[in-house]
Amino acid sequence: MLEIKDLNASINDKLILKGLNISIKPGELHAIMGPNGSGKSTLANVLSGKEGYNISGELNYLGKSLNEISIDERAQKGIFLAFQYPTEIPGVNTSNFLRTSLNKVRKAQGKKEIDALSFLKLIKEKTTELGMDEKMLTRQLNVGFSGGEKKKNEILQMKILDPNLIILDETDSGLDIDALRIVADGVNSSRDNKKSFLVITHYQRLLNFIKPDFVHVLSNGKIVKSGNKELAIQLEKTGYKGIN
Amino acid sequence: MLNFKINSNEIDKIGKFTKEEKYFRLKNLNHFNDIGFPNKRNEDWKFSDLKEIVSKNFNKLELKLEKSKKPKIDFIKDFEHNYIVIINGELTYSDFKYEEKDKIKLQPFINEDYSDSKKHNPLLNLNHALSDKGYFLDVKENYKFKKVLVIYHLFTEDLDENILNSKNKIKIGKNSELHFLEFTINESKKNFFNNVYEDIILEKSAALKSIYLQNDKSFGYFHKYSRNSLSSDSNYTSFIFPTGHKFNKLDLEFNLEGERSECNLQSASFLDDNVHQEVKTRVNHLFPNCKSYQKVKNVLNAESKGVYQGKIFVKDVAQKTDAYQLSKAILLSELSEFDSKPELEIYADDVKCSHGSTSGNLDKDSIYYLMTRGLTKKESTKLLVNGFLNEVVDSIKSNSIRNFVKNKLENQFINEY
Ligand SMILES: Nc1ncnc2c1ncn2[C@@H]1O[C@H](COP(=O)(O)OP(=O)(O)OP(=O)(O)O)[C@@H](O)[C@H]1O
Ligand SMILES: [Mg+2]
Repeated sequence: MLEIKDLNASINDKLILKGLNISIKPGELHAIMGPNGSGKSTLANVLSGKEGYNISGELNYLGKSLNEISIDERAQKGIFLAFQYPTEIPGVNTSNFLRTSLNKVRKAQGKKEIDALSFLKLIKEKTTELGMDEKMLTRQLNVGFSGGEKKKNEILQMKILDPNLIILDETDSGLDIDALRIVADGVNSSRDNKKSFLVITHYQRLLNFIKPDFVHVLSNGKIVKSGNKELAIQLEKTGYKGIN
Repeated sequence: MLNFKINSNEIDKIGKFTKEEKYFRLKNLNHFNDIGFPNKRNEDWKFSDLKEIVSKNFNKLELKLEKSKKPKIDFIKDFEHNYIVIINGELTYSDFKYEEKDKIKLQPFINEDYSDSKKHNPLLNLNHALSDKGYFLDVKENYKFKKVLVIYHLFTEDLDENILNSKNKIKIGKNSELHFLEFTINESKKNFFNNVYEDIILEKSAALKSIYLQNDKSFGYFHKYSRNSLSSDSNYTSFIFPTGHKFNKLDLEFNLEGERSECNLQSASFLDDNVHQEVKTRVNHLFPNCKSYQKVKNVLNAESKGVYQGKIFVKDVAQKTDAYQLSKAILLSELSEFDSKPELEIYADDVKCSHGSTSGNLDKDSIYYLMTRGLTKKESTKLLVNGFLNEVVDSIKSNSIRNFVKNKLENQFINEY
């Protein structure tokens, strides 16, 4: 699914990712943990195609290089990033946006546009599943949403767009215990042998709900340690200083 | 360089006038001939050098215009309405089928006010000298219009470097209410100049809502000076969507001439190509307890230029004034330009006045977010621009009219982006 080899990324002459390697197979869920400022969001941004980074190394998705692929094309090909800090966008109606987005992705995949009725049904089903108030979708995109509501809205989009490679950037931060469970259930019910997940988190707690196949520690722009769920539990005890 | 001087016999060609009117016209003609089109040295025109614009784009300015045949109007079908049809500035026909006829008087405009001959705006002088068409709509006291009135302004195919001067007047009687849509339909293919003088009078407790909208693009150079007088307890809400012409300057003056009168002005524009557009306002708070609100939004693409000059004047007696003014502009292109000049002149001490002005590029993070959801850069931009401008459109209360305006704006202008 995703093959990252010796990835270096810098922005404004600051080198952030320094030779990062990860390989994710279809159906796998990888967790990335690491101290603040170690480059986790940068990795997520680079995968999404965000402009402004100076990049070297290899980035392959479904066997093809992502080098020349724009942000929107990546999304259309099934890469989804749930943001650490979702952007508030005034003037854009959430529901209209969701439908536009879904139709763009469907069209790129050779499917026909979804009609209004089926869309409403889909929305109803997914919002109910995530315990969201449907009325929120009549509001402007993320504007005035609480921290938790914004995160749920990201997961809603993930559920609706049905991508292949899902990157969750600290989706658990700011969620209350019930919301955390709901979001985790949302992720778990989306898991199958075709989808892959890259879950960025600070808390071992999330990994009790979402079982990772691998856990990586990202520090100073590199993966310094990889292991299974036990690594996360160890980290919880020793902190990042106990690594290396 | 076009040297546009007008011979005084042009006044005689318009018609026979009383001595007083003739003198008024001649005096104004002389003022215009002395100065010509205003240039940027004139403070009111410092961002819109009309002299240069006209001489660059016109070879001549023709005063004479053959009366065109009655063209067919594509009437709006989205909502029921009364209508007036104005062709090249001239009142042609009307239908007030939803109203009580004796409450409304409509006639060609006849100017009886010869007091204004100051040298402040040469285009006003030109209008005073040569105006030969327009209408006067008089709504009697205690009458509320049942349906909206659409004023169709048609500009015909045969216009070719013509200059049109017209005067319109709308008077809303005591306790009366009118909602109108001023809707411009363009069939012309060439340059022309449209110079309008407008007088709007709201008597005590009168209410007026207006929308100014263009159906299609034109090569027209438009200038309108509008003087709006609001008596006590009257209320005027105006939505303007000026985009569509090569050049458009709306010079709007609101005089709050009675206590508790209120005016509300909102504008939204998408400027493309090398369009030049200016909205200039002057709100005069002359009595206590009056309110004014202005919100002007511009999106500028390509080599377009937008200007907003907004002045709030508060007279010493106008205590408890509540005045608000906001200008927001988004520049989509490095070649576009937006100038804004907010001005406050306040002589009363117990007032609430606020103003603000922002201009900048579209938010990069917003575009990035939308693109990560599969929208192209262009689609993301369009969505954001629509959102920015629709905030104004969304304040239109009537569903059918709001949707009509929304569709027009999205189809004719923003979709071209
Ligand atoms: N545009 C930028 N210009 C300069 N430095 C940047 C820029 N963006 C990020 N950085 C720096 O890169 C480093 C990595 O940032 P990043 O957001 O990837 O960290 P993170 O691992 O996601 O941290 P957190 O756990 O706090 O979310 C930080 O030191 C940050 O200040
Ligand atoms: Mg981060």
